[in-house]
Amino acid sequence: MPDLPELNPVVHGRLRLALLSLLVGVEEAEFTWLRAKTEATDGNLGAQLLKLEEAGYVAVEKRFVLRRPQTLYRITETGRQALTEYVRALKQLLGPAIDA
Amino acid sequence: MQDHATEQELKDRLSLIESMIAEGRRNTERWGWMFVLWGVAYYVAMAWSAWGHSARAWPVTMLIAVVVAIAFASLTAGNHPGTTLGRAIGSIWIALGISMFLLFLALGLSGRLTDQHLFAAVISAILGMANGASGLILRWKVQFACAAVWWAAAVATCFGTDSQGTIVFLVAIFLCQIAFGIYGVIAEGQERKRRGPIHA
Repeated sequence: MPDLPELNPVVHGRLRLALLSLLVGVEEAEFTWLRAKTEATDGNLGAQLLKLEEAGYVAVEKRFVLRRPQTLYRITETGRQALTEYVRALKQLLGPAIDA
Repeated sequence: MQDHATEQELKDRLSLIESMIAEGRRNTERWGWMFVLWGVAYYVAMAWSAWGHSARAWPVTMLIAVVVAIAFASLTAGNHPGTTLGRAIGSIWIALGISMFLLFLALGLSGRLTDQHLFAAVISAILGMANGASGLILRWKVQFACAAVWWAAAVATCFGTDSQGTIVFLVAIFLCQIAFGIYGVIAEGQERKRRGPIHA
């Protein structure tokens, strides 16, 4: 029997997984957009984004637009790869149950 | 970790990934309002030109609708990240707007915009093309159904009396602009309600 893969604990968190999945489909996204899509609280969202940033999965850019601060997030190549590997591991773990 | 993870939890993670990827690409709420705006603008222009008998009805109404649409788009632009898909769909509608503006402006100025049937048929065909292309890209059956309604209206308005043509055009506007737009907004709201907030 082949060894079952480990699930990346950084990606596995529900909110972090949702954030990576959102960011994989867009070029970059604002904090407010991510908050609206996940309906998470500011504190929780900020904490989870920081964990992803520390893992090198997302890159952050802070800038001013019409004198208003704007925080933009985008998924890095490492983050994209981590998500791909996570999905592969998930499918392997679920095996035939995936269609059930 | 997987020792503790139940099969249901893993399935939940997989469906979360799918729904979030789809969510990132979805913009129906924003565009839903845009469809309603243009549907109302068509109705206003038609009512004004029918009862006011003014040649300025269409150009003035369309100009106001363009200004409102641009203002609305720029107000909401910051909250919506750019995607390749979004740009593809946006390009279709921008190209449609430019085509209609140039064509009807030229026809109006040259005095050749006299046939009401032709006017409705051309608008319907162009809207059918844009909705059809967008529906095929998004694989959205409801929008493709709107395209089919516009194409049917384009054919139907070529025949019958003036009033029959007007009724067909009014029905197509109601179904494909106002009803479809409201459906887009409601569908988005329901999806968000069904999913609920995501916790860590």
